[in-house]
Amino acid sequence: MGTSLAHALTGLFWLTILVLIGGLVRRSALWRQGRAAPFAWSALLAVPKRYFVDLHHVVAREPFIARVHVATAGGAVAVLGLVALNYGLMLYQTWLDYVILFFSLVMLAGSVAVWHRRRNAPARLSKGAWNRLPLNLIAFSVGMAVLMVTHAAASAYIIAVLALLGVLAGAIEFARGIGAGGPMKHAVAGLLHLAFHPRQDRFAGKLSTDLKPLDLDKGDFGVAKPSDFAWNRLLSFDACVQCGKCEAACPAFAAGQSLNPKKLIQDMVVGMVGGSDASFAGSPYPGKPVGQHSGAPDQPIVSGLVDPDTLWSCTTCRACVQECPMLIEHVDTIVNLRRNITLTTGNVPNKGAEALENLRTTDTVGGYPVDVRYNWSIDMDVPVLKAGEQTDWLLIAGEGAFDMRYQRALRALVKVLKHAGVKFAVLGAAERDCGDLARRLGDEATFQRLAKENIGLLKGMKFKHIVTPDPHVFHCLKNEYPAFGGQFDVHHHSQVIQDLMKGNRVRLKAPVAATPDFTYHDPCYLGRYNGETDAPRNVLKGIGIKVVEMERSGMKARCCGWGGGSAFTDIPGEARISDMRMQDVKATGASKVAVACPNCTAMLEGVVGDRPDVVELAELVAERLAD
Amino acid sequence: MRYPNLFAPITLNKLTIRNRVVSTAHAEVYAEPGGLPGDRYIRYYEEKAKGGLGLAICGGSSPVSIDSPQSWWKSVNLSTDDIIDPLNRLAEAMHRHGAKIMIQATHMGRRSSYYGEHWPHLVSPSGIREPVHRGNAKTIETEEIRRIIADFAQAARRVKASGLDGIEISAAHQHLIDQFWSPRTNFRTDEWGGSLENRMRFGVEVLKAVREEVGADFCVGLRMCGDEFHEDGLSHEMLKEIAQAMSESGLIDYLSVVGSGADTHNTLANCMPPMALPPEPFVHLAAGIKSVSKVPVMHAQSIRDPNQAERILASGMVDMVGMTRAHIADPYLVTKIRDGREDQIKQCVGANYCIDRQYHGQDVLCVQNAATSREATMPHVFEKAPLKRKVVVVGGGPAGLEAARVARERGHDVVLFEKNDQVGGQVNLAAKAPQREQMAGIIRWFDMETKRLGVDRRLGVAATKEMILAEQPDIVVLATGGRPFSEQVAGWGVAEGLAVTGWDILSGKVAPAENVLVYDSMSAHAGFGVADFMANRGSKVEIVTPDVKVGDDTGGTTFPIFYRRMYANGIIPTPNYWLDRVYEEDGKKIAVLRNEYTEALEERAVDQVVIENGITPNDGLYWELKDQSVNKGQTDVHTLFASKPQPSLTESLGNGRFLLFRVGDCISMHNIHGAIYDALRLVKDF
Repeated sequence: MGTSLAHALTGLFWLTILVLIGGLVRRSALWRQGRAAPFAWSALLAVPKRYFVDLHHVVAREPFIARVHVATAGGAVAVLGLVALNYGLMLYQTWLDYVILFFSLVMLAGSVAVWHRRRNAPARLSKGAWNRLPLNLIAFSVGMAVLMVTHAAASAYIIAVLALLGVLAGAIEFARGIGAGGPMKHAVAGLLHLAFHPRQDRFAGKLSTDLKPLDLDKGDFGVAKPSDFAWNRLLSFDACVQCGKCEAACPAFAAGQSLNPKKLIQDMVVGMVGGSDASFAGSPYPGKPVGQHSGAPDQPIVSGLVDPDTLWSCTTCRACVQECPMLIEHVDTIVNLRRNITLTTGNVPNKGAEALENLRTTDTVGGYPVDVRYNWSIDMDVPVLKAGEQTDWLLIAGEGAFDMRYQRALRALVKVLKHAGVKFAVLGAAERDCGDLARRLGDEATFQRLAKENIGLLKGMKFKHIVTPDPHVFHCLKNEYPAFGGQFDVHHHSQVIQDLMKGNRVRLKAPVAATPDFTYHDPCYLGRYNGETDAPRNVLKGIGIKVVEMERSGMKARCCGWGGGSAFTDIPGEARISDMRMQDVKATGASKVAVACPNCTAMLEGVVGDRPDVVELAELVAERLAD
Repeated sequence: MRYPNLFAPITLNKLTIRNRVVSTAHAEVYAEPGGLPGDRYIRYYEEKAKGGLGLAICGGSSPVSIDSPQSWWKSVNLSTDDIIDPLNRLAEAMHRHGAKIMIQATHMGRRSSYYGEHWPHLVSPSGIREPVHRGNAKTIETEEIRRIIADFAQAARRVKASGLDGIEISAAHQHLIDQFWSPRTNFRTDEWGGSLENRMRFGVEVLKAVREEVGADFCVGLRMCGDEFHEDGLSHEMLKEIAQAMSESGLIDYLSVVGSGADTHNTLANCMPPMALPPEPFVHLAAGIKSVSKVPVMHAQSIRDPNQAERILASGMVDMVGMTRAHIADPYLVTKIRDGREDQIKQCVGANYCIDRQYHGQDVLCVQNAATSREATMPHVFEKAPLKRKVVVVGGGPAGLEAARVARERGHDVVLFEKNDQVGGQVNLAAKAPQREQMAGIIRWFDMETKRLGVDRRLGVAATKEMILAEQPDIVVLATGGRPFSEQVAGWGVAEGLAVTGWDILSGKVAPAENVLVYDSMSAHAGFGVADFMANRGSKVEIVTPDVKVGDDTGGTTFPIFYRRMYANGIIPTPNYWLDRVYEEDGKKIAVLRNEYTEALEERAVDQVVIENGITPNDGLYWELKDQSVNKGQTDVHTLFASKPQPSLTESLGNGRFLLFRVGDCISMHNIHGAIYDALRLVKDF
């Protein structure tokens, strides 16, 4: 390679680095508009593991794109590193050029694959600048390869210049990405996000699905404007690659409600930077054209940047979080915004406000007298645990106890527990709502009151474990009460029944031939929130039921539409989520769907017309008990 | 939360009941000789417990004394220690399913018949005869009063010892206690009559003795009337005074209130309000009593629907609802409400077949549910048959509908042919009569159930032999019913158009004329219904029957309703006459009547003669199919009556080999219950 060309590359490399550093400084100034969050430089050391293990774990769910990304990003990183070595440090070793050539070709292969895929891209992918990116990557990798080859063959000057221009195009994309908010922003912001992720326990093998408490005494009422987010939350929004995996998984989006989690994250970026959403090149919020909203770091997000119905459409099902390769926390974002609406204005739509009022005044969602909660058990001799008495298991029925349909499931559960000789009791009139709905609807104050009162009550009782058939109660007590000092051994009834069956404490009627006429619907708060997808299936298998799986099942299950208070806020869309879920059920050909949550039960049974029967897990076990 | 009040537990004394639904005390007429509950009796109640009801009070009017007769209507006899063991078995059966069980105890005083069993001299405060039961009675003496009070205490001891959850003392329907209360029957001048306090003395002494025997913690209730509806009887205000005093006595834990006296035919008809009366006609009386009562109030009278029951409770009128006939029609009423299967409830229509049988001394049966009180042999809930068969049912009246329903419940493929566009058969005509519209409820349930269960219903299709065989049936059940038997007497001239049939009128085929003679040789609901139908449309109607009185076979609580309408509408009742013939003269129809007892002939010149002479079977298809069937159309009565499977069911069927059975009126005329029972007892074993 000619000396001048080599020096040009050296200059270009350092210029790129300077521009990139300058951009990073500018961008970090935007992030620093946010509130303080714990910070340690040492967190950067964790990035490689988090990148190659945690992030790749998500990306690898789509093997093709994972390999393409390895080629493109891996090739680019290798090229950049080698260029830094050979040209940045002015070593000018010819053999290194051949190594650069090799990785340029790897990168080229990846970039071409990206380009090819974008010619027929799934709807979830953003277009605009993201369509430009593969072309610049191709230009870069071709240019770099040519330069390396030019060196080898001492080719014409004009070709070298053209190649350099190609490299320049790629270099600009790399260099200006972070500063100007281009697509390559994701590389830098993404890695930093991995280091400073607001949920560090996600990298310690935890699902980390609990909402974090607000410090209400210090006047923390959630997020009103972009600068109210913690700085690392702002950083996390910049990590988004607009792949739209969240969009494809979002039940509200699918139902035509005005929510697209991808757009929401991009809107947060718009707010952080200031400006309009006009340049967003992905699917809009259904029914809301882009270009009509704008925001600024210190301007309220609602309604200038994001309309309230977008926020109230979320079912908090975590399908978006589950799918996000950049490990962004959409649900935290939505709940933080809801908190501010609810705590400062109380403007919760439709039945949401009434439910919260009920919780404040009656400790129940439906406004019931608490002393009728266990009416359904009156003829089953279920003991009510009193102070000073002791039991093994405390059964917490939850709000489902007020629903006559669900009382059938509860009676079945009691029957199973009694059959197995489990020593259990209930709280009777002392049981209050767990606070799940209040918390998801943003009423952190009511949640904290209920949580503290329940914890106080439970701490005064003598029991070994808690069992509940309600995954929302299960999640609250198991994952969210510890932050308030409530540490209890909480089990979902599917887990308890599974263990009873394993321990041969459930005697069943003679088995009938298993017919594939059942499917199973995973409750979000049992599956994605708690990773429990096996226990219900083991129970069904144990009683001789063969489950035909839905396409969206287990950790990828579609929400029933109840969660996050959606059944109460009831934001209109083109379809109902529960209807869509029932379509999923029907698509299996099953005539019955087993459920394991009072709310899924209500939502799926609420589907009108001819549809498969909805049967609760405990009911299925109870009807197969011997004697 | 649906039905928040209906499913709210209630505690009476120490007795906690799981919901507010009660099967109140009624005469079952099921007790074994000696007045002991046997298997049938216990299963009848146990089925309601399985079905989810809160409390059953069994043994309506169970006598505590040997001079209050029980044998002629097979009531429970509380006057002997022999009762303890059977009642204990009953209590265990009920408790097994989470329900509570009490029993009603009483002395009926004059309200009975003296002729039979011990031929007792009935007792009453002033020896006034009771008209309904022809209850001649003597004036009760103080010594007898003391003996009967002691008998109440002994009965209470037996009830408690048996493990039942409580005892209800009856002071309703004019039993001995309210015979003392009522100015209509108590003319005494001693300490047992005169002032209200004196008239209440006997009841208070009974309750004191009972309470002393059972202790403070045992549930004791009192059933009383809310208004006797007699000028000289107990008024609502008097009864409120009595109720308040009783509720404040500390002796009772609840009051059960019914409307209407019961010592005349007409008041008796109110007690179990038939379909002609509006829903819950007397709940206001219970609400009036509740306004003065210190203890919870229970009320039963035509509460047959879950929403109605919930509304009554929610409005605070009463604390517990009696849904007694509702449970006779469907013992799984509560479970179906609880499970959101209200549409599957076989709802009582108020036909009063149950109580009308009881007043004939016959066992209580449901017009529309043949399994009730036959729980040992007839299922309310079905198991799937081991072998799936193809069953073709022809005819969508009650017999055919029950056959199709039961066959489908057993898991068979069922085709139902009905030649009309809607199912129901003759019941659709029965529902045309004024204030008999609720008869259609019987069919509404079958209609919904056969649809829900997936019976392949071919409506508007008159089945032929070819169509039936084309279905390749394993079993064919003919339920083709009948047609008016108007050709029995040629002289009636139906063929010549001199007379028309009741069906012609009720179906709208023939318009009612101005002057009408209805000839009713059956004296059942149909003839009276058609007379009433025409009178209601302005016809001047005379109803003629050879029976001793018109509507004679309609039952003790039903004929008074017909008679109310008869006198209000000016229908002329002419019993004891046969219709010999009809001829035409000067444009009039001349009906020639012959007196049963004198043979004297009379003539009536009218515009229209309507004949109700029952039906004759439609058996054409039967004769066409009989020879081809494996069993030659025969039903084995030995196994049928023993509730066992037909022997012919073991034959190999299919490929043109089929069994042929008939049910209901296409064999010979039965009633609705008979048609349904025919189908159930046969098809349950398919």
